[in-house]
Amino acid sequence: MSMRGQVHFDRIVKMHGNFSALKGIDFTIQPGEFFALLGPSGSGKSTTLRILAGLDMPTSGTVVIDGKDVTALDAKDRVVAMVFQSYALYPHMTVFENIAFPLEMAKVGRAEIEPAVREAARKVKIDHLLDRKPGQLSGGQQQRCALARAIVRKARLFLLDEPLSNLDAKLRLETRIELKKLQRSLGVTAVYVTHDQEEAMTLADRMAVFMEGQIQQIGRPSEVFAKPNSVDVAAFIGSPPMNLIEGRYADGHVEIEGHRLRTSHQIAGSRNVIVGIRPGAMRLEAGGLPATVDLVEDLGDTAVLDLTLGGATLRARVSDGPVPKEGQAVSVTARPEDIHLFDAATRKRL
Amino acid sequence: MIGKRFRIAAVIGISLVFLLAWVFPIVWSVMNSLKTEQDVLAYPPKFLFAPTLAAYRDVLFGSGSILPNLLSSFIISIGTTIVTMIMAVPAAYALARLRVPGKRFAGFYVLATQMLPPVGIIIPYFLILRNIGWMDTYQGIILIYLSFSLPFAIWLLVSYFEDIPFEMEEAAYIDGASRWKTLWRIIIPQVRGGIAVTVVFVFLNAWNEFLFAVVLSGNTVRPVTIAMFNFVSVEQTLWTKLAAVSVLAMLPVIVLGIVAQKHIVKGLTVGAVKGGGRR
Repeated sequence: MSMRGQVHFDRIVKMHGNFSALKGIDFTIQPGEFFALLGPSGSGKSTTLRILAGLDMPTSGTVVIDGKDVTALDAKDRVVAMVFQSYALYPHMTVFENIAFPLEMAKVGRAEIEPAVREAARKVKIDHLLDRKPGQLSGGQQQRCALARAIVRKARLFLLDEPLSNLDAKLRLETRIELKKLQRSLGVTAVYVTHDQEEAMTLADRMAVFMEGQIQQIGRPSEVFAKPNSVDVAAFIGSPPMNLIEGRYADGHVEIEGHRLRTSHQIAGSRNVIVGIRPGAMRLEAGGLPATVDLVEDLGDTAVLDLTLGGATLRARVSDGPVPKEGQAVSVTARPEDIHLFDAATRKRL
Repeated sequence: MIGKRFRIAAVIGISLVFLLAWVFPIVWSVMNSLKTEQDVLAYPPKFLFAPTLAAYRDVLFGSGSILPNLLSSFIISIGTTIVTMIMAVPAAYALARLRVPGKRFAGFYVLATQMLPPVGIIIPYFLILRNIGWMDTYQGIILIYLSFSLPFAIWLLVSYFEDIPFEMEEAAYIDGASRWKTLWRIIIPQVRGGIAVTVVFVFLNAWNEFLFAVVLSGNTVRPVTIAMFNFVSVEQTLWTKLAAVSVLAMLPVIVLGIVAQKHIVKGLTVGAVKGGGRR
């Protein structure tokens, strides 16, 4: 394997006392890939990144970078770059000194450091701020400084731990785009930890969804969105999240609260299922499930409806046609191919 | 309106009383050091008098010059400070950072040594020094001073180290720095305020120490605090000389205070505000 920036995790287990933070993680990241580790807090995604960085040791299993087992290697010897959530800039050094620090540690000659620092700073557009101290920078500028410090050493692996979470909403969107462009232009492998599914969806080439120390699903964001392989993933991906209702499958139909909807799934026999329908796939059409509109959130171009259907609550996003009023009785349905089915017992996709 | 004014006046009044109580001994010492023996003993006390530097001339250049004692004090204080800091900085860093077994106990032990009344341990110290033949030596005095300056310095420094986020160090490791390089280049520059505060306190404690010095020193090692005591005897007290030496002994302390003032204030507030709720 001659390409640089390939990562392989082999049966990684991490115990904190009796608590297993990671319960056997296996996956491979290809060179040049933008790979997101997505999951709620405490799911093990940050632990996985820290193990990759060499900041934590796995309890068992191996980490392989570019075909070399690095499990026992210290962080300082792994030649990876990392951007921390808090940026972790050195407050007593100027921006220039911050960016130069990894080069100094790598014993790069003085004559080479200066142009390399300027180049890195220029790439993230902070070359006019080199004499400042981190305390004199705005949040966005600090973030860029952290990025420059990460890219200056031209590491093969670029690790990002929720790098955008301390920015305000507008800046976050801008930086997100720039981050992706930067990764493309540098051609490095990026491993990106986030709990924000939208960030993962937009940035990642592929992503791994973490839940309770295990990877639930790996795939391209569109794949994971279209075919979540468990109820938990389905509930986590998408905003507003997928409607999940208990029902019963029989003969090409699902029965919900005594009403039937046709589905394109073909399964032998009849069984208890969890029916998943994305809010955006819900349609207000006659002949479906009778429901009552509880609340209308009008977002301008679309509206999100909270609906009551017997004992269940559903959400529907409607973008065309008249928006129903609160208290109004409506009929909701979904196309047969938009209905996801999960086993009621195993909670896995059927 | 009147109530508020009254409150302000009351606060100023009370502050003045405290300030006077604090400043009086210093002013009185300075005045006495510039008087003649007769003026010192005059009653009612003289606030206006012809100042003279005779006492200073005597204690500095007379037969019983205190210059060697000042030198002695400097050697002890600087020696104690240097050795303390060399040992306390890594120890405090370790206590703040490393997950070492018994860390909590070590932290308590460090503090517990501060709770012992010094008089209670003076005889054991005396016996120890006599047995190893270090009575009346610099290394002996410094060793004993370390036993209380070191825990104090560690305890003070730990909170400063704890204020540095873990991510700062991890960033340095990722950047390729070793633990020592990280400590030296990343951590220590950020706790210099705390280090300055600690240096000042350790130096002052050693400089002002009297109880251990009076028992454990002798003719070779005789810090200024002990030399000062010689002006008080059964027959008479040489007030002007005593005052002059006091003022001279105060000078290094004042100079150090002024030099380190900026750091001390910053260091104390940082430690107090940020480190307050941790642990």
